[in-house]
Order: sequence, then C-alpha cells, then structure tokens
Amino acid sequence: MDQNLKDFYFFSDFLNRKVYQSSDQRMGKIVDLVAERAEPYPMIIGIMVQTQGKRFYLPWEKIVRIEPQITLSEKEPLVLKSSLPEKDIVLLREEVMDKQIVDTFGAKVVRVNDLHFLRVDSRLRLVHVDVGFRGLMRRVGWEKVMDQALRWLFSYDLPNQFISWKYVQVLSGSDLLQLSVSQKKLSHLHPADLADIIEDLSGRERSAIFHALDTETAAEALEEIDPKIQKVLIETIPVEKASDIVEEMSPSDAVDLLADLPEERAEEILEGMEQEKAEDLRELLVHPDETAGGLMTTAYLSLTPEVSVETAISRLRQEAPNLDVIDYIYVVDAEEVLQGVISIRDLLTAQSHQTLSELQPPRVVSVKLDEDQNEVVEAFAKYGFRALPVVDEENHLRGIIGFRSVLDVLAPDAG
Amino acid sequence: MADYTKWVSSSRGSLWRTVGLFFVLMGPGIITSNVDNDAGGITTYSLAGAQFGLKLIWSLIPIMIALIVIQEMCARMGVVTGKGLSDLIREKFGAKITFYLMIGVFLTNMGNVLSEFAGVAAGMEVFGVNKFISVPLSAFLVWWMVVKGTYKSVEKAFLVACIFYISYIITGVIVKPDWGHVFEQFTHPQLSFQPSEMTMLIGLVGTTIAPWMQFYLQASIVEKGIKIDEYKFARFDVVMGSVIVHIVAFFIILVCAETLFKHGVRIETAKDAALSLAPLAGKYCSYLFAFGLVNASLFSASILPLSTTYLICEGLGWEAGIDKKFVEAPQFYGFYSIIIFLGAGIILYPNFPLIPIMYFSQVINGMVLPFVLIFMLLLINDKKLMMGYTNGPIFNTIAWVTSIVMISFTLILLIRMI
Repeated sequence: MDQNLKDFYFFSDFLNRKVYQSSDQRMGKIVDLVAERAEPYPMIIGIMVQTQGKRFYLPWEKIVRIEPQITLSEKEPLVLKSSLPEKDIVLLREEVMDKQIVDTFGAKVVRVNDLHFLRVDSRLRLVHVDVGFRGLMRRVGWEKVMDQALRWLFSYDLPNQFISWKYVQVLSGSDLLQLSVSQKKLSHLHPADLADIIEDLSGRERSAIFHALDTETAAEALEEIDPKIQKVLIETIPVEKASDIVEEMSPSDAVDLLADLPEERAEEILEGMEQEKAEDLRELLVHPDETAGGLMTTAYLSLTPEVSVETAISRLRQEAPNLDVIDYIYVVDAEEVLQGVISIRDLLTAQSHQTLSELQPPRVVSVKLDEDQNEVVEAFAKYGFRALPVVDEENHLRGIIGFRSVLDVLAPDAG
Repeated sequence: MADYTKWVSSSRGSLWRTVGLFFVLMGPGIITSNVDNDAGGITTYSLAGAQFGLKLIWSLIPIMIALIVIQEMCARMGVVTGKGLSDLIREKFGAKITFYLMIGVFLTNMGNVLSEFAGVAAGMEVFGVNKFISVPLSAFLVWWMVVKGTYKSVEKAFLVACIFYISYIITGVIVKPDWGHVFEQFTHPQLSFQPSEMTMLIGLVGTTIAPWMQFYLQASIVEKGIKIDEYKFARFDVVMGSVIVHIVAFFIILVCAETLFKHGVRIETAKDAALSLAPLAGKYCSYLFAFGLVNASLFSASILPLSTTYLICEGLGWEAGIDKKFVEAPQFYGFYSIIIFLGAGIILYPNFPLIPIMYFSQVINGMVLPFVLIFMLLLINDKKLMMGYTNGPIFNTIAWVTSIVMISFTLILLIRMI
C-alpha cells in the first residue's frame, strides 16, 4: 500500500466509493466493510463490493491503494465470491451504521452516525463510533459547508462526539446471538441504568438485550423497569426463565409484576418457582394493590424473644443477601404475634449475651393489612422509620413495608 | 389500564372479551384519522361542497379505501417491529436520505401547524373572539397539555375531542338534505375532466392522506405497546378511524352542497362557509360549524408539533421525550418550541401572506408523500424486518396502485401549481 495515507478514516470515506481494477477500469462500488468480531478494537478484514446488482466479498489484502482511488491488485486474477469468510465477522453497515447502540460508559442508547478507524500500517482498526451532529453532517455531505458557516458566524468548531468501541454494545443483526459473549460490557452498568436503557430501546432490541442478561442482573433490572414494559418482557421469555427471574426479584416487586400478568401465566410462573418463595408470593398476591398488604414484602428477618444478640447478629449476616430490609429485626412469639422491633443500631450497641426481649422498646408501631396506602405514607412521615411491620387483626406479623415501596407511591413516575 | 386489560382478558365470554379488548386498544387509528380532519381538511371539504355540490361525493369511497390500505401498513409495521417509521427509514435507507426527508417533513408539518392556528383564529372570529386572544391562548394550551400531561391523559382528552366532530353530523341533519339524491350521487359517480374539478379532486386526496399521519400513527401504535396477537384490534381501530373521518367529511360536503351550492354562494375559506351558513340554515348551524372548526384545529395543533419533533429526533438520533430535562434533550425542546412559536406567531403578524404559505406547504406535502409511500412499501416487503407479516400479493397490488395513483395525483397538483 502506498504512502501519504491519513492516520484516521471514517466509514463515510469508504461508503459508495468506486473500486478500480486498474487505473481506469471500474469494478464496482463499496457497499459495506467487514470487520472481524474481536475485542477491543476489531480489524477490517475486507470489503463488500457491488457490481451489476450483485454483492461480492473482497479481502482487504487485495487492495493496493486507497488514495487517490481505491485500486485492487492486478497481479492475481480476481475470484469473485459472494460468500463471506467463515469466521466471526461483523458487517458494519448492516449491523452498526445508523443503528441504535448502547454506550455502556455513558449508560444510554445512542444512534450511530459514522465509524472512526485508526490506520495501523496498512490495516484499519475500528476505534470509535461517531454519534455527534458532525458525523451526521459528514454523512449528508455538508461537513465542510457547516464548518465554514460556523467558523464565519461564531468562530466555533463543532467537535466530534466519539464513543470508544470498547464501550459500545451493538444490538442488531447477528450480534444478538453473540450478546451473551460480549455481555460483560453490559454488566458494568447499574441495574437502574440498565433499566432505563431497556426502556429506551424498541421492539426486538429490547427483548434481545433482556434475554442476554443473566438471571440475577435481569431480576435487578426488571425491578426498576416501567410496569407496562415489565409485563411485555416477562411474556416474551420462556416460563422457566421467567420463574427464575421472578424468584430473584424482591417479593414486593415480584408481586406487583405477577398481579399485572394474565392469571394463567402468573400461575405457570409461580409453579416453576421454589415452593417456599411461591407460597410467600401467593399470600402477598391476595392483598389489593392500594393497601398496606399490597405494598409489603415477606423478605425480612423475624426471631423469637429468647434469642441472644450474638445469635441474632449471625442470623442477620447469614440471611442478609435475601432480605429486602436489613435495618430491623422483628421479634415475634411462637404464634407469629408481633412483640417488638429492634433496629440494627440497637443490636450492634447491645451486649452480645443479652437476649432480644431485654432490648425491645415498649411500644411497637405497625400498620394493619387493609390500611390505605396513603395512611402508610403518613405513618412513615410521622415516625421516620425505614420500614414498618404489617399485622393482621390478631396482631400476627404478615410482612413489612420498606421505604422504597413508599417512594413508589409518592413519586410513581420518578426514575 | 392494567386492571381493565386483566379483567377483559380473563373474562370468559368471547364476545365480551373481543369488544372489551377493542376498547382497551382503540385510540391510535381513530385519533390519527380525526386529526386528519383538520383546518385544511374542513376547508377543502367545504369548498368541494360549495363549488360542486354533491358531484364529487363519490370520490370519498376510493379515498377511504386508499387511506385504510396505507394506514393499515403503518399499524402493522408498528406492531411487528416495535419501531417508529422514521427509525425504520433511518436504519434501512441511511443518514443522507433520512436527513433530507426530515427537512421535508419539518417544512410540511410547519405549514400544517400554521394552518391549524389559522383555523383556530378563523373559527373563534365567528364567535367574535379576536385572534390576538384566541391564538396565544390556544398555543399556551397546546404547550401546557404536552408538557404537563402524560400521554395517557392527553390521549383521553383527544378521544373526547373526537366526539365533538358530531357537531358536523348534527349540522348535516339540520339542513334536511334530499337523501334519495345523495344516494344516487354515490351510485352514479361522474367526473368531467375539467381543470377546476380535477384540482378539487386532487385537493381532496391530498388533504386526506398526508405524510405526517403515517409517522404519527405508527408512533402511537408503538407507544401503546400493542402485541402481534392483539393486532386485529388495532387493525379494526384503523379501519374505524378511516370510516369515521369520511363520515364527517361526507357531512361537511353535504352541508355546504345543500346550502351554499344551492344558493350559489361563493366562499374561499372554512370561516366563509360558517358565516354564510347563518342566513341560509340558521345561526346555530353556523355556530356548530365554527365550533367544529375550532375543535379540529386545536386538536391537530396539539398533536402535530409534538409528533413532528418526535419523528425528527428519532430519525436523526437525538434524545427525545417530555420526561427528559432541557439539557438532556435540547434539540427536542428546541424544535418543539420553534414549531409552536412560529406557528402561532406568524398568524398574529399583520397582513401575513397566509394563502401563499399554505400553498407552499401543500407543494412540499406533495413532494414528500411519494417518498414516504415508497419507503413504506419497501419496508413492509422486507422479509427480514417484517418476518411473516409482509404484504401478500393482493394487498401489495392494492398498495402499489394506491401509491402510484397518489403519487401521480400529487405530481399533477405540483405541475398545476408551478
């Protein structure tokens, strides 16, 4: 390949450019670039050329010159194959250009305007995607005009908006199948960000990205997703997977989701779950949405009064991963009647040999199962607790309401 | 909403279930079609009735079929792909084509918004309200509904607004037409190839099928999250909408034909039509007609700016959505404000050459529509995109014929105008 090449190229520098066999014999035009599927910066291994309505693959090695015109090697006769090389490849125009991608660094969905390549010797490597207005203008062919206008009017140069390829998660085409491989990129994201991304995507991309998540991440993200979309997502995946995911979710979120599903589907999902968890959820499902019962969760720790502080702390440590609320331990007698509430602060400051009955404060604040949700909010505001126990008519502890559920009542559209 | 869906889908009786599901899923088709009967539409129908009587009324049937065919394709694309039309066009045809198409769509929709605010001003003037009060007030109302309301409440408000189109039907009954004669006009279509008649016919087609509708319908289908197995309800919604819009159009033509045409009154705008109705059919007729105009204009004025902004941002890859802050989506809010500000502001400018501007927006409308139709046909026949839901041969034939007729009509219109 000849000298005086640029260090960087754009996809738009190649798209629709003519390809010459010798200096004057035109062969066709470039319709796509083919990259290997590799991390972090994939190399361009060939081009797709269109001649007389047909598309052919040409390996990059066949190109002898890029400037002033793309010229192919004359030494060996050209074998035009329409088949692509067998190894893992990405057709950049078909799968990346103009498509939506996830910028895992900025945690948002963006549309690709152009691609940015770095030249290493005679090969190109894909280093950035361009998502800025400048890239768009370059595609339209107005980059120079815009530059001059902006410089003349405001002495301003519009910068490129690049995202490094290592932060890019492609969503379309064959990459859907590969998603689980490159999924590491997605697992950097906070579940709440992931939820926003899933909400921003449309149609197949949305379900594809959700399918690719592992059960735990899927459950965490699902908790944060808008209920309408939650429902669609859970209906598109196989029942067994749905059961696994719902099992991982916090009981109060899981119940909200199940309540929105058609009855048969919800039942199928429950049947696929662990017995104990399913029963908890079934119990929660009975309560209407807008009452304390509808807000509560069953993932809390309850102990009997004669348990020692030492044992209580070790039980808490043990159970913590599965609990929705770890701020309090609930003291109940053998009949599950609520006796008292002990905060984690009380627990940590107490002597390890004391029993829970010695610690518990004389007065316990709780709400009734059928209490209206607005009353619950009032109680939270009044007492400033991070969680409230929910009891039935006979003062049996049935569940607890965490502060997060109250936030959903107060600001349903936030986040 | 979720409760209804659950209740409906779990109810046993199949008729109940069907009717119920339809009511849950209806909206996009009916709203889109009714927005279509905007200020420009009412003006065109009034003129058609006043100038030619019932002579052209048969044309409503082929126009309706064309509208159903085109809208159905959009609805299907929305349901199957879960993406908006400008999104699909960008992904299939690339940045360059999309960019120019978006400029075209922006200009035509800008013209449409302008004519909606002009409609508000004209309609309110019949009630004696100065345009310097009615236009800023309606612009604010439009802005407030979008920024402060959610899609759900806005949609409900719009469905209610659809009911007010009945005012035209009532007017139609008040003027006591000769129904036998009306029926005969439908069964014996006639067309003389006079230039004035042809222009009116093209005008009727042009006002009924506009580029923005396809974008808006598909976007609201996607927004509604309709699934493939619920698609038949969405289709019914689209068909219903197209039928309703033509019933309204029919009554507008009828009213003007039975009164203005019979007495040889010449009119130039929808406001003229409303005012001229008073001596012929009574004061209330005139008020009802004007009220319909205001309702239609306001209705379209609240949908068009937002839908235009959405589709442009979607196509060019900018952040969009009323739940975003200004710094997150500057282009979105910028475009939205520009459209409303210009649309309402220009109307208030004294002696503004409104008629040439509306003409110009019609020309661009005509230039953009063929592209949109061709893109749609290419997209809907893309097997990879539509999977098992591409057009069948019969549907394809109807769709292509419709598109070619539409395109040639708009081309004739363009040639006439230049």
